[in-house]
Amino acid sequence: MSAAAHAFTDSATMLRRQLRHMLRYPTLTLTAAGVPVVFLLLFVYVLGGILGSGLGGPSGGRDTYVNYVVPGVILMTAATAAQGTAISVAMDMTEGIVARFRTMAIARVSVLTGHVLGSLTQTLLSMTIVTGVALLVGFEPTAGFAEWLGVIGLLVLIIFALTWLAVALALKARSVAAASNMLTPLMVLPMMGSGFVPTDSMPAGLQWFADYQPFTPFIETLRGLLMGTPIGNNANLALGWCALIALGGYLWAKKLYNREPTQ
Amino acid sequence: MSTAGHPFRDNVTMLRRNLLHARRYPSLTLNLLLTPVILLLLFVYIFGDTMSAGITGGPGDRSEYIAYIVPGILLMTIGGTAIGTAVSVASDMTEGIIARFRTMAISRASVLIGHVVGSVIQTLMALAVVLGVGLAIGFRPDATPVEWLVAVGLLALVSVSLIWIAVGMGLVSPNAEGASNLALPLMVLPLLSSAFVPVDAMPGWFRWFAEYQPFSPAIETLRGLLLGSEIGTRNAVLTVGWCLGLTVLGYFWSKARFNREPGS
Repeated sequence: MSAAAHAFTDSATMLRRQLRHMLRYPTLTLTAAGVPVVFLLLFVYVLGGILGSGLGGPSGGRDTYVNYVVPGVILMTAATAAQGTAISVAMDMTEGIVARFRTMAIARVSVLTGHVLGSLTQTLLSMTIVTGVALLVGFEPTAGFAEWLGVIGLLVLIIFALTWLAVALALKARSVAAASNMLTPLMVLPMMGSGFVPTDSMPAGLQWFADYQPFTPFIETLRGLLMGTPIGNNANLALGWCALIALGGYLWAKKLYNREPTQ
Repeated sequence: MSTAGHPFRDNVTMLRRNLLHARRYPSLTLNLLLTPVILLLLFVYIFGDTMSAGITGGPGDRSEYIAYIVPGILLMTIGGTAIGTAVSVASDMTEGIIARFRTMAISRASVLIGHVVGSVIQTLMALAVVLGVGLAIGFRPDATPVEWLVAVGLLALVSVSLIWIAVGMGLVSPNAEGASNLALPLMVLPLLSSAFVPVDAMPGWFRWFAEYQPFSPAIETLRGLLLGSEIGTRNAVLTVGWCLGLTVLGYFWSKARFNREPGS
């Protein structure tokens, strides 16, 4: 069997391990969906009336705001799930199972690949829950079949990128708590982008940051696909950020993982 | 020394102990301060224009929203420091120091009173910091000296009531983490009140809860004192009623829990 085939088989085994974990501890999936759902309900029912009126639009109010906020909340789910991945990787690193894997004749990269693919599955499940809740509270996307395919493709790319970054940060962290804290900025970035309000309502310095950070093009592209708003150059920026984050995260994670444990 | 003198001296000793803790471990206070300050900055600089436009119906003006939000953030700060009290009490209960105090000839209530008075002092200091941040970013209250005195009195009253409830929560929790989770509503309730948006902007079924929960009348009263907006008898009465009710409930609950034997 070729080295590539070995790596594929080992990755599939590690993915199965992650999916078993997911089935045994469903609370992890629910937690990843829980935080965004709370944010969604808070921003729709408590703040939505005012924010919707502030945004203007055809009708203003809560109905307008639900459609505006959902793409940001969906991406917040990716950030929450990435934090869960970081915790999971850090636990593996500190609990000794990885030391056991290192002594076995398995492809080194498969341990990380298993985490990434498992997390991808889990995050898509969490996003499905969040989207379901959004539809219940009045979200009305105008996307056709092709747009929905685009949405799924975009979300897979974003999750893939953020998960590799989370894996790298978890390998860098010395403990589970540190891994969790390192990923907190990912939770805040959708709020400091166009997730909850348009960036042009922010002060100049903050607006510049909000416009150029990764989550704003992610959100604007997703919003465009779901709601038919203009996407412009955001799609290219979103794909560029995904490629950059995924590649950077992968190479960094691989380098950190291949170091000897004592280093 | 009179029997009344003993408890007073014990209370002072326990208060000194709590203030020493606060000085030695400032990180807990700072962490609890961080949430209201971050929320203040987030809501003013990121959501401020849109919120203001939604509330006034005119063009967005961040400075108007600062005036609206600061009273709510101040009360959220009290909720945050109350969580710290719950954690501190739970730590004391699990770390064995209370068992040591029980064997000593000191007034039983003094341990709890030390926590409460120490926390109230800490809370007032935290409020001063948050108010300072508010002033730095453009909060401009127009209260008279008398209104400021009443506002400080109101904040102290709310602090005492929430801290007694937090002490009760700390006593019933199995550990510090449990106490932190149990006391979390003290930070969440201001989000579900008139702190960030007027309650009449909320859906009907939810508005009723937002109007009558403890934080909304307290926020409206504080807003009226600091900014001269309409308070209304209802808000003032509800605020004082909630404060007295929670203080009495928290005090008797805490006392009953603390006086139980450790094994029971």
